[in-house]
Amino acid sequence: MNQSMYEADVLCVGGGIAGLMAAIRAAESGAKVIVAEKGNALASGAGRAGNDHFQCYIPEAQGPDIKPFIQKLSSFRGQLRDKKVAQVWAETSSEIVKLWDRWGIPMKYNGQWEFAGHGFPGDKLDHLKYSGKNQKPVLHREAQKRGVQIVNWVMIVDLLKEGDTIVGAIGLGTRDDKVTVFKAKTVILGTGFVTRLYPSPINGRIANVNFPPTVTGDGRAMAFRAGAELVGLDMPYKHQGPKYFARSGQATWVGVIKDAEGKPLGPFITKPNRRYGDPVLEKYPTLFEDVAASGKGPVYMDCTDISPEDYEYMVYFMEHEGYTSFLNYMSEEGIDLRKTPVEFGRYEIRINGGINTNEKAETSLKGLYAAGDELFGGIANAAIFGWIAGENAAKFAAEKKTSSLDKSHAFVEEKKALIHAIKTREGGADWKEANFALQQLMQDYAGSIRSESMLNAGLTHLRRLKEKAHHFLVARNQWELVRCLEVLNLLDLGELVFVTALERKETRGGNVRRDYPVTNPMLDKSRLFVRKVNDKIVTEWIEIKD
Amino acid sequence: MPPVIDKGKCKKCSKCVDICTEDVYFDTPKGNFPVITYPEACWYCNCCVNECPEGAIRLRIPLNMTLVYK
Repeated sequence: MNQSMYEADVLCVGGGIAGLMAAIRAAESGAKVIVAEKGNALASGAGRAGNDHFQCYIPEAQGPDIKPFIQKLSSFRGQLRDKKVAQVWAETSSEIVKLWDRWGIPMKYNGQWEFAGHGFPGDKLDHLKYSGKNQKPVLHREAQKRGVQIVNWVMIVDLLKEGDTIVGAIGLGTRDDKVTVFKAKTVILGTGFVTRLYPSPINGRIANVNFPPTVTGDGRAMAFRAGAELVGLDMPYKHQGPKYFARSGQATWVGVIKDAEGKPLGPFITKPNRRYGDPVLEKYPTLFEDVAASGKGPVYMDCTDISPEDYEYMVYFMEHEGYTSFLNYMSEEGIDLRKTPVEFGRYEIRINGGINTNEKAETSLKGLYAAGDELFGGIANAAIFGWIAGENAAKFAAEKKTSSLDKSHAFVEEKKALIHAIKTREGGADWKEANFALQQLMQDYAGSIRSESMLNAGLTHLRRLKEKAHHFLVARNQWELVRCLEVLNLLDLGELVFVTALERKETRGGNVRRDYPVTNPMLDKSRLFVRKVNDKIVTEWIEIKD
Repeated sequence: MPPVIDKGKCKKCSKCVDICTEDVYFDTPKGNFPVITYPEACWYCNCCVNECPEGAIRLRIPLNMTLVYK
């Protein structure tokens, strides 16, 4: 196993939108910046193929009153957001949107600020339609212009600490048998969402998820292991979109959600409407289950009544949202959305909770920052709080002395021993076997419907599985080794889902507790935190401050 | 299984190999036709299709991902 060492003021973990924005800002603030990316930063992360909605507040387009926008940002799919985070988001978003526009990511449509989707008639719309197909190459270029060093094909596997302070991270080559120690004064996590924890609804295709299958909660897992505070891991959420072809971007569709007889299933619209899409998908979490139970299924997205202009508008934004493979496929198959309704369905459970950060993008650990989908953020959060993280990390690094970290740190040796063991074992379980074992366990014992006895039984089994995985996982090559380490991260996160779900003794949002059917109003303003203290998992309820 | 390479068009430039973050083409030797080592990891992001200067790649959608429509 080869070993090398890099030094930086700021290490960005993940070259997605958050990581690149953080890198750009940190570099122009004078820091020496490295981005470590598992794949190729030109085409990595959830924003790689594009986006078309940016949640923001632009005063000249949306009116002088910022308060309704802060209010909207204060919660997301059943989760509460820190009030100051919501405020800074609303206040900073206009500047970031205009910056992107100047860099060459078109943020206007036909010369205007265009707001549509993720809202309902009468609502203050806050999702800007933009043409994000080229966003990754643009941000990549801007990072390189400012001297950011992008190190592709390296997975950061753990953070390095001295006392309570972050001093760097351990990287593993995803193509080469190589361990790299990154000595960094600050680290910014931007590794995205958590996929592959729950089974995909599509049999036999582990990668058929609406976020990239290589985003596996690595940031959350390493932050937790280093002692950082996570929040909201217990709350399940399911996204929806074209059935069997998992894609995000449901709000890009301009059609009406209907039952098999062609009756609209929501109260909002009866004809395709480009301004609102069909809000019923977001406002009715049990829509698909209820329609199936009523005998009126399937559920269709019906765009057949769409005007030629709105069809052109929808397809244009689908391309920018990253639907190109989908559009190519429909064209090859002769599926015309103007002529036929297509089925929609609900996807697998995912956890929206993640690393707790404040309005400065600081985590609870000194020198550690996080942004974007590390905490149910989405593209706008990644851009805004990536930028803020970069600025603050650079400031922090400027005042911090270089640590005495060297590449033979005890923790590095421990990780190397684990990696070596996985690669050299004679026999055992491959990554997929372990991943499937975890997925079935999560689905059966910590699915949408939960109870204390099931959660306890599941947690016991998960801990056995985790122990076994550490001792029996095998990899034939570097690619499989990386998948194995992702599964170990997922096992850590799965355990936290169980531990926190046991603490939520109520039914709320997507979390249905058979043994606690009441939504407890005393928890309306509280969030559930979890962290590691002296190798024990500790949970705590903390009320949101006004 | 996806992706499908048209060997008549492919000039073995490896751009697809370098762009795929899922590393579906893992371990393709330089100067060779791309090897679809891990087809099950494909996310259908189309990055390799868009990157290919020869238009030599198409993604075949597996049967269990095909759309259901009226």
